[in-house]
Amino acid sequence: MTYRVAVVGAGNLGQIHVRNWMKLQDVVVVGVAANSTPEAEGLTRTAGCPAFGAAEFDEMLATTKPDIVDICVPTLLHRSYVERAAAQKMAIFLETPLARTAADCQAIVDAVDKSGVKCMAGGAGRFSPEFRNAADEVFVGGVGNPGVVRVSRMTGPRTNSPGNWLMDQAQSGGVVLDFMVRDFEWLLHTFGPATRIYAKGTRGPASGLVDYALATIRFATGAIAHITGSWAHTAETVQTTLEIAGDRGLIEYDSARYKPFTISTGVDAGSVSGLQESPLNDQDDPCFLQLQAFVRCLSENSPIPVTLAEAQEATLMALAALESIETGRVVTLQ
Amino acid sequence: MSLRIGILSFANLHAYSYGMAVLSHPGAELVGMSDHDAYRRRQAAELFEIPTYATEEELIEQGLDGAIVASETVLHRSQIEQLAAGGVKAIFCEKPLATSVADAKAITDCCRKAGVKLATAFPCRYSPVFRQALKSIRDGKIGSIRAICATNRTMYPPGWYADPRWSGGGAVMDQTSHVADLNWLLLGGEAVDVYAEIGSVLHRSRSEDAGLLTIGYKNDVFSTLDTSWSRPTSYPTWGDVTLQIVGVSGVVNISLFAQNLVHYSNAGANWQSWGSSLDRYMIEDFLRTVAGEESELLATGLDGLRGVKLLEAAYKSATTGHPVSI
Repeated sequence: MTYRVAVVGAGNLGQIHVRNWMKLQDVVVVGVAANSTPEAEGLTRTAGCPAFGAAEFDEMLATTKPDIVDICVPTLLHRSYVERAAAQKMAIFLETPLARTAADCQAIVDAVDKSGVKCMAGGAGRFSPEFRNAADEVFVGGVGNPGVVRVSRMTGPRTNSPGNWLMDQAQSGGVVLDFMVRDFEWLLHTFGPATRIYAKGTRGPASGLVDYALATIRFATGAIAHITGSWAHTAETVQTTLEIAGDRGLIEYDSARYKPFTISTGVDAGSVSGLQESPLNDQDDPCFLQLQAFVRCLSENSPIPVTLAEAQEATLMALAALESIETGRVVTLQ
Repeated sequence: MSLRIGILSFANLHAYSYGMAVLSHPGAELVGMSDHDAYRRRQAAELFEIPTYATEEELIEQGLDGAIVASETVLHRSQIEQLAAGGVKAIFCEKPLATSVADAKAITDCCRKAGVKLATAFPCRYSPVFRQALKSIRDGKIGSIRAICATNRTMYPPGWYADPRWSGGGAVMDQTSHVADLNWLLLGGEAVDVYAEIGSVLHRSRSEDAGLLTIGYKNDVFSTLDTSWSRPTSYPTWGDVTLQIVGVSGVVNISLFAQNLVHYSNAGANWQSWGSSLDRYMIEDFLRTVAGEESELLATGLDGLRGVKLLEAAYKSATTGHPVSI
C-alpha cells in the first residue's frame, strides 16, 4: 500500500524529513502544516502537496486523511500534536526529546498507549552508521565487557531555529536536552539501563543557555560513561567522537580525525556551511533509514526499532542531567 | 663543582629518563641509586654504570646535593624523611607525592622544617603545547575559562602501579594529579569539590582501573578528567593527556603527546614521538634549583599536596556516591 504522510513543522527538521519521505517508495507526502514562511512555501512546492497553516493541523488531518503524522515542531509543542494525532488513530513519528518535562513525556506515552496507535521516536543515534556499527561490535562481544565509554558531540550555537527557540533554555533545554539526548538514547540502547547520573553545565554569556555540559553515567553492569555536549564550538561543523573501552578491546572514532571530504575555497569558512562532510548515499542516510524502518514496521506489523518507552527513558536521562546541573547532586535513575 | 645527585629507586619508570637527564647534564653527577629490589639495582648498574645500594642510608652516606625519589608511592614519606634527616637540601619526588593527605602534609612539613627544597614531578608543566595554550588563554584569546574536559588515559601499567599495597590505589591514584596541576595553572584556584565514578572494569585489577572525575572550581567552573587505564596493549602509544578548554568566547583543544610519526611494521603500528622531552627540561630545572637558583615553573611540594587532596576526596566520593568537598 501507499502510506500517506502529513508533516507538521517546516523548520530544519521538517525540511529534512519531507525530503527523506519523498525518497521513500510507497510514501506520499499529502500535506504540510506550518507557519507561513518562504521556507514552508518552498517545501510544499517541492513536495507538491497542499500547504496548511500551523493552526490548521486538525483540518489537515481531516482533509488529507494521513496514515502517518510526522511531528517536527519545537519540543514544547510535541504533546499537543501527539494527543490530537493519537485521537485521530494515526501512526505517529515523533522526534526525541519527547518533551520538555517528565510530566509531558508521560502524557505523550499515555496518549499513544490509550489510542493504541503505532509510534516511533526519531533522532536516534542508533541510525547513524558510525554509532550503529559501534553498537553492533559491542553486541557481538568485539570489545568484551564494556568498561569505559566516551561520547562527544560538538557544534556551535543553534541560531537558525524559528523564533530562536533552540537557544532558549526554557523551551529547548539547551545542549543537554536537545543534543546530548540522542547520545543518551544510544548509550541506553547499547549498554543497558543506567543507575545514576552526575552532570555539570555552563551557560553561554550571550545566550544564557546551557551550551556546554559534561555528564557521567553509571550503568547497571558497572560500566561508566562520559558524555560531552557542546554548542560552544563553531557552527560550521558537528564533531562527534566515540570511544568504547572493554576488557578485550577498544573502539575509537573521531569525525575530526577521519575526514573523507574537505574543501578549501580561499574565502570565509561560512560559505561551506551545509555541505555534508561525511557523505552517504541516500539509502544509508540516518534520517532516511529511520523513516524507512517505521514504514516497514507498519507494513509488516513488526516491532518498532525505537519505541516511545526508549525515547522516554533517554529524555528522562537528559532531564535528570539538567536536574543534576541545577542542584549539584547525583540523580538516581529508575 | 659538580652537583651530586642520587636516585631513590627505579620503581617508577620515569627514573630512567631522569637518570639520563642527570647523566647528560654537564654540571651534575649521578652518585648512585638505592632500591630494595635487586633486579632493578642490577638493571640500573648495567644501564648507568653507577653504584647501587640496597638501602637509602647507604646512598645518603655518599653525600648528596639533591635526590630524586622515584620509589613506590607508599615509600615516599619515609624516604623523604630520611633524606631530610640526612641533610639533603633538595628533593625531587615523583607524583603522587603520597597516597594520603596525612602523608603528603607530613612530607611538606618535614621539608619546611628542615629547610629542604621539595619539588614534585609534574612534567606536563614543561610541555610547549601546554605553554602555548596557557599563553593563548592569558592573552585573552578565548575569554575566561568556563569548563575543561580532560583525559589522562594510559595502558594498564606494569608491576606495582596497580597494586594498592605499593601504589595506594589504582588509575585514580596514578593519573589524577597531572591534569589537576594543569587545571591549577589554568584556573589559578583550588578545586572546591569532586565527584568520582571508578571501577575495576577493564583488567580485573585489584585496584580501580577506570575513573571519571568531575571537579568543581570556584565561580561554577568545572572540569572532568578520565584517568582510565583504557588503552589496550596494541594501542600505538602509551596514552594521552588532552584538555578541551572552553572559554567565554572560544575553545582551545590540546593534546600534549600528539607530535608523533606513525610507524607501521608487521608487528603493528607505533607512534614515535618527536615532541620535546618534558622529563629532561624538568630535571634540568630541578638541577638549577639544587644549585640555588629559583624556578618559576618547577612544581613544589605544596603543588604535590594539592593533587593528593583532590585524589583523596575522589576516593571518598567513589565510596559515598556523592560529590565531596575539598
